[in-house]
Amino acid sequence: MKRSGPLFTLLAGLLLALFMLSLNVTEGARSTSTGSESSGDAVSASPTPTASPPSGKPSASPSPSPSPSKTAVPNADYAGRTDDDSSAVAVTLRDGKAVAYFCDGKDQESWLKGDVKADGSMRLTGQNGNVLTGELKGKRISGTVDMGQRKYGFTADKAVKPSGLYRATATVRGAEVDGGWIVLPSGQQVGILNRAGKPSPAPRIDPETGAVTVDGQKLTAEPVTP
Amino acid sequence: MTVDPNAATQNFPPPGPAPRRPGAATYLVPALVAGAVAVGLGVYGNVHDPEGTAFNLAGFSSTSAVKSWLATTAMGFAVVQLVSALMLYGRIPGPSWSGVLHRWSGRIAFLVAVPVAVHCLYALGYQTYEPRVLWHSVLGCFFFGAFSAKMLLLRSERLPGWVLPIVGGLVFSALTVVWLTSALWFFRTFGVTT
Repeated sequence: MKRSGPLFTLLAGLLLALFMLSLNVTEGARSTSTGSESSGDAVSASPTPTASPPSGKPSASPSPSPSPSKTAVPNADYAGRTDDDSSAVAVTLRDGKAVAYFCDGKDQESWLKGDVKADGSMRLTGQNGNVLTGELKGKRISGTVDMGQRKYGFTADKAVKPSGLYRATATVRGAEVDGGWIVLPSGQQVGILNRAGKPSPAPRIDPETGAVTVDGQKLTAEPVTP
Repeated sequence: MTVDPNAATQNFPPPGPAPRRPGAATYLVPALVAGAVAVGLGVYGNVHDPEGTAFNLAGFSSTSAVKSWLATTAMGFAVVQLVSALMLYGRIPGPSWSGVLHRWSGRIAFLVAVPVAVHCLYALGYQTYEPRVLWHSVLGCFFFGAFSAKMLLLRSERLPGWVLPIVGGLVFSALTVVWLTSALWFFRTFGVTT
């Protein structure tokens, strides 16, 4: 007689995997309601109610105003990680405008800017064709950053000072220095410092004051606003 | 009473001798299944466009944190596996229920690891962009193949004594490296967060 226990174990694992997969797929289909689905492909492929045509009026909005109202998208800061945890993303919203920073803390970064629609969706663009698409749901922005060679899903939760997005630009010993920092709610910092356009990991800033020492010179990193 | 010397006897081994050494199929089927599982997972991870994310559990900051804790749980049960296996083979003293312990800790470890793998393959895919990630992808697929082989081998009797320890050791080693390249890396990079 052959033992059937191991077969049941394998079968249970298979069923569990299929169950989880179906859960994921159905979750993906409800992308706009859950806000956890962040694939740009999926969003563009499915006719979601939030994907309003560029020329048309914002759907579900009774008064189609070209400039988003302040009440729809409150001013706030958001910071979080990419889903693969390789990088950090921070978004700052002010008066219907957004600035975002994607940074892996080593050599990949992108500053992105754009408008936030009244329904909380945004499409921010940066240099080299980098695009951030995101949607604000409650206290969280989720979406994707397309960095050209790779696409990163991310979720950024509402951040309160001292966590948020900081930038410092200065001339240190004749070289243009440009640093960007994301201070995560955990206190962890992800930053890149460009010296004459060459990126490198950034030194820590004091999140309370923004003070940072670059090559012996004291700089102050300021909170970034659009 | 005369005995026909040519009569077929009952207790003679049948033409296909049953108590022989395990045939090729004993190894071939688990090996083929293992290969199919490992390659299948890798191909799925490669072909399927990573979704970026999947559902999260309440109370955790990110899916990676959830996965790290699930993987660590699996790793803990895997250590129980190693210890209980040593008990079963009499290398260290163990209770009479060490067999039950081995079976159930293995089941739990496997079932805890499955959701992690589903998330990896669905949300992140098979990636090769740095050595850590490459090793994780390769051995992650290998682990589930080797585990399938181990389960199927358990069903065959009269295996040489070294087969199960070797395959079990491979499964354990693979899981260890998979854990080192993911959960431990996560905890070291982002701190032991939930």
